[in-house]
Order: sequence, then structure tokens, then C-alpha cells
Amino acid sequence: MTVRRATAEPRWVRLLLTGVALGFLFLFLVLPLIAVFWEAFAQGAQTYWEALKDSEARSAMLLTLTIAAVVLPFNIAFGVAAAWAIAKFEFRGKSLLTTLIDLPFAVSPVVAGLIFIILFGAQGFFGSWLAANDIKIIFALPGMVLATLFVTFPFVARELIPLMQAQGRDEEEAAISLGASGWQMFWRVTVPNIKWGLMYGVILANARAMGEFGAVSVVSGHIRGETNTLPLHVEILYNEYNQIGAFAAATVLAFLGLVTLVAKTVVEWRMRKETEMLTADLPPEKTELPPTVATERP
Amino acid sequence: MFPTPAKRDGVLPGFRLGLGYTLTYLTLLVLIPLGGMILMTGKLSWNNFWEIATAERALASYRVTFGASLFAATVNAVFGLIVAWVLVRYPFPGKRFVDALVDLPFALPTAVAGITLATLYAENGWVGQFLAKFGIKVAFTPLGIVVALIFVTLPFVVRTLQPVIEDIEAEVEEAAASLGATRWQTFVRVLLPGIFPAWLTGFTLAFSRAIGEFGSVIFIAGNMPLISEITPLLIISKLEQYDLLGATALAVVMLVISFVMLLVINLLQWWAANRHAKGSDAEPAEALAPAALVEARP
Amino acid sequence: MSIEIRNISKRFGNFVALDDLSLDIPTGELVALLGPSGCGKTTLLRIIAGMETPDAGSVLFGGQEATHVHARERQVGFVFQHYALFRHMSVFENVAFGLRVRPRKERPSEAEIRERVMGLLKLVQLDWLAQRYPSQLSGGQRQRIALARALAVEPKVLLLDEPFGALDTKVRKELRRWLRRLHDEMHISSVFVTHDQEEALEVADRVVVMNRGHIEQIGSPDEVYSSPASPFVYQFLGNVNVFHSRLHGSWAEVEREGEAPTAGSIAFVRPHDIELDVAPLAGGMTAGVRHVHRIGPLVRVELEHDGETIEVELTRERAASLELPVGKTVWIKPRQAKVFAAEATAPAGKQPFLF
Repeated sequence: MTVRRATAEPRWVRLLLTGVALGFLFLFLVLPLIAVFWEAFAQGAQTYWEALKDSEARSAMLLTLTIAAVVLPFNIAFGVAAAWAIAKFEFRGKSLLTTLIDLPFAVSPVVAGLIFIILFGAQGFFGSWLAANDIKIIFALPGMVLATLFVTFPFVARELIPLMQAQGRDEEEAAISLGASGWQMFWRVTVPNIKWGLMYGVILANARAMGEFGAVSVVSGHIRGETNTLPLHVEILYNEYNQIGAFAAATVLAFLGLVTLVAKTVVEWRMRKETEMLTADLPPEKTELPPTVATERP
Repeated sequence: MFPTPAKRDGVLPGFRLGLGYTLTYLTLLVLIPLGGMILMTGKLSWNNFWEIATAERALASYRVTFGASLFAATVNAVFGLIVAWVLVRYPFPGKRFVDALVDLPFALPTAVAGITLATLYAENGWVGQFLAKFGIKVAFTPLGIVVALIFVTLPFVVRTLQPVIEDIEAEVEEAAASLGATRWQTFVRVLLPGIFPAWLTGFTLAFSRAIGEFGSVIFIAGNMPLISEITPLLIISKLEQYDLLGATALAVVMLVISFVMLLVINLLQWWAANRHAKGSDAEPAEALAPAALVEARP
Repeated sequence: MSIEIRNISKRFGNFVALDDLSLDIPTGELVALLGPSGCGKTTLLRIIAGMETPDAGSVLFGGQEATHVHARERQVGFVFQHYALFRHMSVFENVAFGLRVRPRKERPSEAEIRERVMGLLKLVQLDWLAQRYPSQLSGGQRQRIALARALAVEPKVLLLDEPFGALDTKVRKELRRWLRRLHDEMHISSVFVTHDQEEALEVADRVVVMNRGHIEQIGSPDEVYSSPASPFVYQFLGNVNVFHSRLHGSWAEVEREGEAPTAGSIAFVRPHDIELDVAPLAGGMTAGVRHVHRIGPLVRVELEHDGETIEVELTRERAASLELPVGKTVWIKPRQAKVFAAEATAPAGKQPFLF
């Protein structure tokens, strides 16, 4: 029998806690994940494929991809700009700005959709003007993009601010003192340093953009084949008791979620490896006398 | 209220561009829409607003929303602590997989979670039929809301606790053990106080997210007015009845709650960062920043 | 190229980093800015580099106004305290960076870049590391690469911020001798910041001692050590015994060459400038031995006189011949001391100097 370390729990406690933790995670995470695929394939692969090939399902997928493709560049530009200003400079009101950037996370998705109805909806502030000029925002793509922009607003910035703060300003200052222009500094020094953090933020923002339900639901109008994103399509089929169709569409989203998890884990692993490399103990110092210039150069 | 730069010298370029873009984007996408909503409530008299905000159905929806959120956040606080502890401390096969899986609720679209949980916990579902034998009904009851919210907010407590538990110095525990404390005493008296602020922060984050959650809840809740109708859903049903002002009034109530939660979270994080600094005569870190920037940059 | 600093002031909020400071650095000199942290030395270096803009005053390079020349155009080589190597670039690319970012017309060809970079890597004796990444280098190697990178742009002035601060003692000593020799070869005007007096005295041609945004003294290493211009310099460079003349009237009397001692004068005596004997010394005073520390070639004797501690340094041989058990009463007498009137120790508008 081995002697237990002073700071370890008894074996039965460890087994019990591990069992409880894994049981909890199984019940709430693994079981639902299995159930999605199980329900989708309940009547065989044939039915599953047919549900996916449905034209409405395909236009929903296309719309979801379109929204994500429009939203992500905005998120990246904003995230980098905000993180640059906040992480590399001192100014008054910085903590207020940081809090405001987090605000969309605290707002309910339904409220996030509603605010755009209030601005651009038929009864909203700009409603009559928009109608007079025949511009559609609500119940159309622009409204869904706006709502998605709102709910994904903080992701990239939140990821980059602490990263860029930790990296400090030295490398950028070194680049400038070596004669680099602002853009050269940005593309050659800043971007390579933040690429993994940026990617991490983009992965999270993308998952949210493609999966958003509440905010988009409020502004979409649920016009089939036109303003139905994939999550909204799932809802419609489910409410029509089309279990197979709903879960078939859901598997696409679940697959997307799994890809997100894998990508996230890979990026996390890369980031950890990079910080480990930076903080690792230095290689042993060479003890031989550093070369003298005089003796080495004839 | 806009931040004004206090220090613009230094060689790094792009401060005006970065901050300018950040403020413009924040104003257009977040501040103006949220301001517009508050402006819209101005169309209601105070009495009208109060009537809508305290109508019987509204009050019932607050009770359901808050009650279920509190319940779910508490469950996650308890199990989240166990999961975080097990993930940090105990080795078991497949640990990295399980660790990555914890983020599933962030990656899986809420609508997918909603229909899956509704199916699992329905009376003929995998879990539901088992619970039915004990006379417990989950789907289409307030309990269903709790289940959905547990799923959606599961990562918060785990992810806020994990780094803090990792950072506990082994020496602290060894010191407690060498002073004669039992393992349980060490945990309750030494470790728990150390991780308490993070625990509370995780709980508050989960609670705050649960209050606004919509997508996963509506499928499993049954959505019966006065019994299992959450506030976000009530906002949507008012919107569907073209009662924009009614919806706005309730949304403002939710927004105020969001602000309060955001404030509480910020205070908690400030407390967690500063509670060990009190008693020392150290000035707040920010006041020291300029000098530190000059001479003591790491 | 010479550097002139004229009446530079710089504040950060309420903190005065530099207060109307002027300094001339002749061409080809290696100058140390020495002072405690917060004295403004790093700020001064960053102003010379163009990384900070002064609130007032001007910087001249070779007699030319350069205050508002951008850091990019100053042709200054800056070596950062923590090296600031680009972590995602190889050693070769780090050194080549300054050449690659030049406008197309001025940019050397790939072959020229290669030749220049390898030449510099040979100069710092690390050409065999060209393909490594900064994270794979030791601290001393990183330091030398940072230097090679700064030299690649053929700077007219080389600025180093605490160049050896992050290295361990042994490497630090080796590297600073190496830097001295490198400077002797290249004769490029160089300024380095340090808080380590030994480093400043050993490496620099001239030492600029700074305190609270002011210059306390400028001089050769020998001058600042043997004739400190102010009590601050005395205290900052090397160990020193402080005697308040009121308490040690006879001492001040002896040293002030016939002038009557004023009540508020302070005498500074280096520990190795005190004569110690077991037999009575004329004009000396007595003190009790409290501790005897043997530190390498030296023996440091801690004495007590009138409730105050006095340190005396002796050679090993001298200490052995005297036999100094703890508690023994001995005679001491300064060989030389420097006396400052109390007023002189308090620069105008500053807190009085306290011991």
C-alpha cells in the first residue's frame, strides 16, 4: 500500500467526485449530442439525406453562411482596432470603454433584436422614411446582419485585449525604431503575434453568428426560403412536428458546433505552446567567455 | 461620456484611427440602438410603463425567469465546482476530450439544444420516461426551463474556476497539512476562501446569461402564460401582437437588469483582484501607471 | 555623432520625470545614465530615441535640431531592456528586419542583406544561430542578437536600456567587457541606462548620475567615485558612513581644515578610508566591534559608536594581524572624508535629504 500524499484526497473521494463530474457532464452534454444524431437518423440515412436536400433547408444554409461571411470581417476590424487602442495606449475612460464593449453579452438576444425593430421597424423611428424610400431592413437580410453584429460584437475584442496587453509595446517600438512604417509594423510584427488569439475570437464569433436564434428570430419575419436561417429553419420544422427534418438540419448545426470545439481546442493548444515557449526556462547560458571583437576580427 | 485621450505621445501609430473606429462602431451598433429603445419608452407615460411592467403576466414571467435562472445557476455552481476540481486535480483517461467538451454549450446553437432537450425529457424521451416513473414531469413545465438553462450556462462556473484552481500553490495546502489540518478542513478553510470570488463570478455570469436566454428555453418550456412563460418570450408575443410599446417597456426592464448584472460582475472581478491588496498603503494600480510605464515596464 | 540635450522637461500626469535637464554627449563616447529607478534615466533615453516627446526643450543630433524627427528617421539603434526580439521571426530575420522595411529604392538586394546580416551575426559571434528562434536562445544570446539587430541599420547613435539588467551575474560581467571592446572598435556614440553602479563605473567613458529628474554629477568613473559632487552621489556610489557633525564634532573639525564645524554638517567617509587599530590613534575615537564579515578578499567590520553603526573595510591580512573578537573596543580614524553643509544636501524645492 502506498502512503497517500498529505495534499491528496482519499481514493474513494477522488473516485466519487470524478464519477459525479463525469455523470453530470454525460447527462447534460454527451446525451443531448448523441440524441441529435440519433433522432436525425431514426428513419434511416435515406430520409436524412432527403431532408437535407430540401430546397428550403439549402437556402437556409446559404443564408446562414452569407450572414456569417458579412459579419466576420466587421468583427475582425472592430476587434483589432479596439484592442490596439485599449491595449497599447493610455487614455481616460478606458475602463468605461472596455465595459461598454462587453455590454452586448449582457443583453438578452431578444432585446438585441428588438432594438433594431424600434429603429427600423414599421412602427419604429425610421420606419416610415425607409418605407417611403423602399428600403427593407427588418424582415430582410440587413436587419439579420445588424442583429448578428450586435450579439457577436465583443468576441474578437475580448480575446485580443488581454493578449495584446500582455505582449506590451516593445516589439512594435523596436520595429518603428528600426525604420518600419506603421503598416509594416502592423503586418510584420503585430499581426503575426496576435494571429492565434484573433483566430480564437473569430471561431467563437462564427459559432455564435451561425447559431444565433433569439435576436435573428425577432428581426427575420420567418419568410421561408428568404429570411430563414438554419436555426430558424429547425424551429419551423420542429413546430410542424417534422421531427426528422428538424433534427437533420440540427445535425448540420451540431456538426458545426463540433468543428468549432475541435478548432478551438487546436488554437488553444497552439496558444499555450507559444506562451510556454516564451516563458520556458532559458537554455543554459554558455559559460565560455563571449568572444572579443578584437581577437576574432583580424 | 466619450473617452478623451490623455496621452498621445509615444511613437506607436494608429491611436486616433483605432479609437475613432472603435467609438464610431460602438456608437452606431450599440449605443444608438439601445438609446433608441430608451427613447421609445418616452412615448409611454410613467403610469403606463408601470402598468405594463407590473402586469400580472409580466410579474409571473419575472418569477419564472428569475426562479429558473437562480435554480440553474445554483446547480451549475455546485456541479461546476466539482467538474472544475476533477478536471484540474484528478487524472483520468480521455480528460482532454472531456475538457474540450465542456465548451459544447457555447458552440452548439441554442435551438439545437432546445429541441434535443425537449425530446430527451419528453414523457417518452430517453430521460423523460425514466423520470415519469417517479411522477416527475420535466418537459413543458418550469423544470424544463431549468434543464435548458443548466445546459446553456454549464461552462461558466467551470471555466472561471479552472484557472484559479490551477493557480493554487501546492505549498499553501502543504502548509495547512503540516499544521495538522485534515483534508476537509484545508479545503473549507484554506482553498475555498481563495476560490470564492471566482466561484461567485462564475455563478453571476451563469445567472446573467440565463436571464436573457431564449432559444433553448422556448422548445422545452411549454410557454404557458403565468406558469412557464419567460420574459423574453413575453416580449416576443407582445411584438407579434404589434404592441411595440409594451414589448419595449419589458425590454427596458430586462436591460436595466442586464446593466445591474454587468455592474455586479465588474465589482466582483474588482473585488477578486483587490481584496488582498487592502490594508497595504499601495495606491490603486492606475494612479501609478504613468511612472510605471516609464521606468518599470517589464 | 554628438548628442545635445537642451532644457528637456517631461511629466507624466503629476509625476515629473525630467526637470529642465541639459546634457552634451560628444561623438564616439560611451556614456552611462546611472540612477535609482524613477530618476528619469529611461525617459531621457526614450526621448533621445524619439519614443517619447519632451514637454519642453530640444534634442540635437550632430548640431541639427532633431526634437521632432520621428523615431523612424532618427537613425538610432535602440536595444530594449527585455530585447523585444520579434518572437515569430528567426534570428536572421530579426537582424534583417531594419533592412527589409526600407523603401524599395533604398532597400539592399537579397544578397547584400544576407551578407550584412551574417557579418553582424559573426560580429556578435552567433552566426551559427541564424535559423533559430528567439525562444531557443539564452538571455545573453538574445541580448547580443538585439544588439546586432540595432546595428544592422547602421545607426549614428546606439542607445541601450538596462542592457544587462535581465542577465545573471556571471554573464552580465562577461557581456559588459565585451560591449566595452565592441564600442572601442566601432566608435559609435552610445548611451546606456543602468541602476548598477559597478556596471556604469566599469564600462562607461563618462557617467551621468541622475536623481529625481535632475543630473547630480557628470564625470569620468573615477571622478564620480572619488569626488562625488553631492551627498546623493556619495550615497549612491559605493558604501559610505554618514557622520552628523553635531554628534561627531571632533571628526568634522579635523577634516574641515581649520574651519570651525557648523552644527548642521554631515561627513561622508568610505568604509575603506577608515583606519582601524587596537592601539589608540591620535585624533581618533573608540568604537565597539559588533560583527566581522569575511567577504572574499575583504573583511567588513561592523562597529558601534554612540548607538550608530560604522562600517570599516580591511584587507584580510590586516584583519588577521589585528585580531578582532566581537565586543572588543578599537580605535578608528578617517583617512579622508567629505563634508557637506546640511543646506547643500537639500536641493532647492525638494525634500531634505534624510538618513
